[in-house]
Amino acid sequence: MATTRDYPQDLYPGDYPADGVDTWNEREQPAEEHRPQRRPARSRVDEWMDKDVKFLGGSRVKRKALALILLGAPGVLPLFFMMPALLTLNENTFSVSVDDTLGTGAELCLFLSLLVTPMITLTGSRWFFPLRRWYGILMACCGIGDGIAAGITDTFAGGFLAKLTEHTFTLVGFMMVLLVIPLLLTGNPWAQRKLGKYWKRLHALIYVIWGLLAVHLMTLEGFGFEQGNNGSGFAGDGDPIFHQRLYQYSAASLFLLTLRLPPVKRWIAAREKEGRRWLIYATIGPVFALFIFAMIFIINEELFKGINSFRETPSAE
Amino acid sequence: MVDRSYESDFWESAVRGRRPESRRPYARDDQEPSTTAGGVILTFVALLSTVLVIAGLIYATGMSARHKAAAAASFCEPALFITGLPCINQFMETRQYEGIVNPAIQQLISESAAYTANEHHNLAAAEAALNAEVSTEHALGTSLSALMYTPQSKAASVGLITNAASFGNPVPMAAVIFTPQITVIADALVRDLQALAQLTGEQARSSSLSQLRSFNARIRAATIAVQGEMQLVHKAVETPPTASQEPCAPCI
Repeated sequence: MATTRDYPQDLYPGDYPADGVDTWNEREQPAEEHRPQRRPARSRVDEWMDKDVKFLGGSRVKRKALALILLGAPGVLPLFFMMPALLTLNENTFSVSVDDTLGTGAELCLFLSLLVTPMITLTGSRWFFPLRRWYGILMACCGIGDGIAAGITDTFAGGFLAKLTEHTFTLVGFMMVLLVIPLLLTGNPWAQRKLGKYWKRLHALIYVIWGLLAVHLMTLEGFGFEQGNNGSGFAGDGDPIFHQRLYQYSAASLFLLTLRLPPVKRWIAAREKEGRRWLIYATIGPVFALFIFAMIFIINEELFKGINSFRETPSAE
Repeated sequence: MVDRSYESDFWESAVRGRRPESRRPYARDDQEPSTTAGGVILTFVALLSTVLVIAGLIYATGMSARHKAAAAASFCEPALFITGLPCINQFMETRQYEGIVNPAIQQLISESAAYTANEHHNLAAAEAALNAEVSTEHALGTSLSALMYTPQSKAASVGLITNAASFGNPVPMAAVIFTPQITVIADALVRDLQALAQLTGEQARSSSLSQLRSFNARIRAATIAVQGEMQLVHKAVETPPTASQEPCAPCI
């Protein structure tokens, strides 16, 4: 579960040096007085979140802890949805809808994990930083679960490895699962300390996974152009565009990618320095709205397929 | 004197793999960080997003109408979909089941009548009627088994539905299969039918009319079991749709 324990500051994958995008090291940075002004280490929201509140039974708990639990809890839903099928070993439910339930769940968790850094850039608050790790772990669990279940229960021909590699989209998915394993194994403070500077480089693999997801979705649904067979949307659906996974991915990724670009981050820092935060929000607003728009359809897909999987009446729509 | 600082920067970058000092953004003391590129990128992305969001919202307003049009085009009524089987509604399920069971029942009734007419005086004719019954019972069991819900039958059904929708054709009846719930009851029916067919087969191998008639009580009991299962399946598939939900006649 999301933890409120703070990592040592020097081990934080920096929110300003844009995890893996910006490659300038300390030596190459400009003189101190010309660097973009960093936000104060702790914003007012961070301080407010650090205060204790009375919780059930009068015990005191940090606001941050409560907020993190609330924000992190939905992440377990994809795994929860598949739990009845797992407990009853219902092969049919796994065969029909595990890819939609756990696969879409992994996509959602990836986006939520990637959302943390842009939100730190925008708000200056860091209290929700542990969610990045939490959603990253859940993304790995969903992805690996999807891979294992697909290898065992898919209706494709052949054995475990054949099922995972005989189609382009399954092969790409399999590669993503392989890449996510080292991230899951090293996604803890101990590994972070042991790996030192290499930890961040290793975890830049998440961007490779992000890119591979585009290829996975492209090959899954006819490169975004096909409907029905090899594409999105079923008979009677009528909304192949909104249900096209590649479009959902692209619309959600635009916000996540833009806020990671060093020139954009410099622009935001400069506007903040000028005290024109409204301009930042006015500019980012439409991009964020597009992100929310895409996420609504991804979440809708997850809930629809997930609830059907939970009832063990899986939907292949 | 010629300023060679840029050159030295260049060589330093070549040797050490670093970007020349003078080319780094906001590297000089008298230079403010350049934010033009960021502004341009963000403006472009914001405009693109605005257009896409507005287009998406406009497109979303037609969602309901598109669903109805798509349903009509593929002769489907989403409100009646049985969970997990797109475009297969209760009405189609009933028609498919009745299409298989009703002729078989008619056949069994006439074969049973032929047996009853001959059981006291014509062994060969009675046995022929019983053998015909066995064939009908086997055929009915096989037809019902083909409707069972399995991952394979579901995949085949989904393929047929998708193909039909892609080409704007009605959903074929071959795509209709039982739901998982009905499959459980139908499975029991098929087992009872097999038991009845086996018993009828034994009866048909009787060497005398008295031996033939000695099976009658057991056959009656087995038939009652089959009829009971049939009623259960019939009840499960036959949930009549309301008048407003009955546009699906053309899809059959």
